[in-house]
Amino acid sequence: MRSSLSSRRPAIPFAGLVLCLFAFPAAAQQVAVEEFALANGMRFLLVPRSDQPNLVAAGWVARVGSVDERPGITGISHFFEHMMFKGTDTIGTRDPSKDARFRAEQKAIRDEINRLVWTKQYERFFKGEIDDPWDPVNDTQHLRVLRGRLDELIKAQQGRGPGGEPAGTIVKDEFDLVYTRAGGTGMNAFTSYDLTCYFITVPSNKLELWAWMESDRLHDSVFREFYSERDVVHEERRLRTESTPTGKFEEQFDAMFWASSGYSWPVIGWPSDLNSYTFDQAQDYWNVYYRPGNLFGILVGDFDPAQAKTLIEKYFSRLKPGKRPPPPVVTLEVGQLAEQRMIATGDFPPAVEVRYHTVPAGHADSYPLDMLAEILNERTGRLYAGLVEGRGLAATAIAASDTRKYAGLFSIAAQTRGEATPEQLEAAWYEELARLQAAKVPERELRKVKNRVAADNYRKLESNMSLFVQLALSEALLDWREINEAPAKYEAVTAADIHRVVRKYFAATNRSVAIYRRQAD
Amino acid sequence: MHHHTLLLVAGLLAGFVARTAGAQEPSAATLPARPEAIRFAPLVYVPPKAADHRRVLPDGTVVYLAASHEFPLINLAITFKGGGSLDPAEMPGLASLTAQLVREGGTRRLPPAEVDEALDFLATDVGVAAGDTFTTATMNCLKSTFAESLPLFLSMLREPRFDAGRLETTKARLLADLAQRNDDASSILGREWKRLMFGADHFEAAEPTEASVTTVTAERLADMHRRIFHPGNLIIAVAGDFEEQAMLAVLEKALAGWERGPVATGPAASTAMPSPGLYHVPKKIPQGKVQLGCRAIDRDDPDTIPMLVLNELLGGGGFTSRLMQKIRSNEGLAYSVRSMLQPRVDYPGDFKAGFESKNATVALATKIVLDEIRRLREEPVPEEELETARRGLIETLPRRFESKPAMLGVFVNDEWTKRPEGFWQAFRDRVEKVTPADIQRVAREHLDPAQLAILVVGDWDEIAPGDLEKRANMQEFFGGKVTHLPLRDPLTLAPLP
Repeated sequence: MRSSLSSRRPAIPFAGLVLCLFAFPAAAQQVAVEEFALANGMRFLLVPRSDQPNLVAAGWVARVGSVDERPGITGISHFFEHMMFKGTDTIGTRDPSKDARFRAEQKAIRDEINRLVWTKQYERFFKGEIDDPWDPVNDTQHLRVLRGRLDELIKAQQGRGPGGEPAGTIVKDEFDLVYTRAGGTGMNAFTSYDLTCYFITVPSNKLELWAWMESDRLHDSVFREFYSERDVVHEERRLRTESTPTGKFEEQFDAMFWASSGYSWPVIGWPSDLNSYTFDQAQDYWNVYYRPGNLFGILVGDFDPAQAKTLIEKYFSRLKPGKRPPPPVVTLEVGQLAEQRMIATGDFPPAVEVRYHTVPAGHADSYPLDMLAEILNERTGRLYAGLVEGRGLAATAIAASDTRKYAGLFSIAAQTRGEATPEQLEAAWYEELARLQAAKVPERELRKVKNRVAADNYRKLESNMSLFVQLALSEALLDWREINEAPAKYEAVTAADIHRVVRKYFAATNRSVAIYRRQAD
Repeated sequence: MHHHTLLLVAGLLAGFVARTAGAQEPSAATLPARPEAIRFAPLVYVPPKAADHRRVLPDGTVVYLAASHEFPLINLAITFKGGGSLDPAEMPGLASLTAQLVREGGTRRLPPAEVDEALDFLATDVGVAAGDTFTTATMNCLKSTFAESLPLFLSMLREPRFDAGRLETTKARLLADLAQRNDDASSILGREWKRLMFGADHFEAAEPTEASVTTVTAERLADMHRRIFHPGNLIIAVAGDFEEQAMLAVLEKALAGWERGPVATGPAASTAMPSPGLYHVPKKIPQGKVQLGCRAIDRDDPDTIPMLVLNELLGGGGFTSRLMQKIRSNEGLAYSVRSMLQPRVDYPGDFKAGFESKNATVALATKIVLDEIRRLREEPVPEEELETARRGLIETLPRRFESKPAMLGVFVNDEWTKRPEGFWQAFRDRVEKVTPADIQRVAREHLDPAQLAILVVGDWDEIAPGDLEKRANMQEFFGGKVTHLPLRDPLTLAPLP
């Protein structure tokens, strides 16, 4: 009776979670989390609760996201998320050794294709002889032959070549099949700038299946369909970025806003990199980031913690520790010197976004910045009162404080009403900003926002999956304890704190502005 | 409510007597070779019963209650019969605008800004929205502010002010939304699909225009408000931290003196039947968006259960479904592929499959969908595959009742729509009984490839020729005869030249 049209396994960050994450009230009951670590370094957070009987939200997080990538392999974290569903020597194949031979043959051909494209085709492209070095339309004869052979091998592996199904080695989507038959629901994963998260809801009596399946794919993923899956990711990119009205512009705005930080490239990656990943790069990435010391698991729901620990120990202890720790992210954002502007024209309503560099998650100023966003948002917030209703310039207006692991931003986005222009909206925001910089927020206004933050905290704890996601984000960015400790930090924010950050981070030289205009017919 | 937890723990313990936790280094040899080798404790899910939660106030108002003391929150939802289904022909969207203004427009005693300020200070979330056939008003508050929040919420529903300034602001936001109706191809696809399936005049397909929005007056809102918002037309559901008797007493008092009217009329059936064929709406994007299907069955049709299983097999079951495997996993032609059966209560709903694919492979993916529909009609489904589909449907049932507000939502909807009693309790058995012959029979009866409408939004010049390898092109469908539908002016919906 599922009626959802949305696909599984979509990637890319949950917009909106950033704000939800850091909003816990002082009065909040403490979430009782039992921590548990294995000898191999993998840690687990266990939260038994029984309000939703017979179900457990279960999953794990790899502390890696697009910020850990580099030019040439942008998007590989997200691509890995796809690979993790493709099976192991046990799941996803009926003949692991023959399947390994298929993969080796494919690798040899694809490595040769890559070499030719990176040299010959790129050279032709740089000289202006072809418009796209990766487009098969521009293939040389040699490339065409190689691509044909690769395609044949992929089909043969899938059982669609000569010899048909018996000659193939893949059992399609067996990972999904096993879970579906056992009552697993909502299986999904997401990749963001800072983390990659895999989760599912299983019936309480299937916890051992979960431990089996997840430890198997962490122990033994073979990156099956490494070459064909990138067509799917290209379609995902077309769907999310290239066929949406503002997708490509938002990508460009990000690339303009961040100068040196790894947040400048999109989570889904640049198209040329998406074509370029090699098997060896994937193996390296796996060896560094998907080792138990860089992973943590989470269980929230109706289970017995002692039994869960026994199962976890039994299954996840097979994961081998990595040989070297993941390299630190060392490149810091350089600091902006002058205002930046982007003027975009297309099929979208006139709108404006103004963005400022701020601070990472956990920074002392992140709490007043989050409260500032609350002061601006909602029906009684300053943006509605000032831009929507007061001046009548905006149809909608929203503020967001987006604090990530290594840097942060504050954004104001508004869409015009009637004949108003984006520039008028921009100017109106600067007036509201000047008011905030001139005088402190009144105590009652601050109290109102704190009340809301406190109540929202309970609301976010109600479902197992919502608590799961918050634990995942908190632990990946800071420490899971933040969900219990943040409430007091928000309660402690004063009007003077907000006044201080509003004067510190909102200079004209620290802002980037995107103006969106509708394309005339 | 259920007692399976104990059973489950006992079962797990039995499985581990041979092993003391942490006493030895586990090795791969001790692990089951495959997941099928694991033995699970039995767990039989019994769906909750509406009758256990249903109460009736002395005035006849039906209330569903589910107390839960884990968090100090109270979640109250009032479901009124009627929504877009009540819109007058010349004013689509009136019910929706009425609901928005009930929320936004203040009360008889308080201007809108004061209502908002009071609710926001109490940290109480309130929402009012009209759907196709129901209008819902929800309030979520801390237990400690319930006594203050409830009167505000009810005065909003009972005595809305329809403040002129707020009406203008809301209209302006709505007009800004209308202006974007062609920006995203998926919104064009959704709009034209409903017109094809239900007829442009049916309320499911009717959409507001600049003219219909600007001519809405407070009087029109008040008329619609009188039809929807009264105790003769509502069912209440409360979940959260409360005591039952006290809650019933509070609700009885809160509704006192609110005049009862007649139950709103049910939705009009759509009598238009879609014409089969290939349709196209122009949009310059690098990926064509496709939906294809037909009108199928209504909710209480005896074929609904086998059709749901068929849908799970074809494209409703995510990665285990045929369309996902063929189009995404094997061919890499799309990121998202799905099928959906949406039976309506009062008339046959639609069955559709859809995907997005780069222009050159739109034809190939379309061809695969049609081939798979034909295959369902021509070949019996292997038992193993059918069993996966059955499990997919049966095992997701608990999720419907997972949260208390969601559970009460099912009960309220079932009562309003008179769903046959015992439906959820019998669901598992009915799904278990579906046979390969049933699937083949309902496929033949309800899904005829020659009777489908295929709707494509995208760049036809790029889409029509098909793929580089010449595996498919758009000429193959309906003899290459395509109806080019016009793009519509986003504000007036009049065809653009």
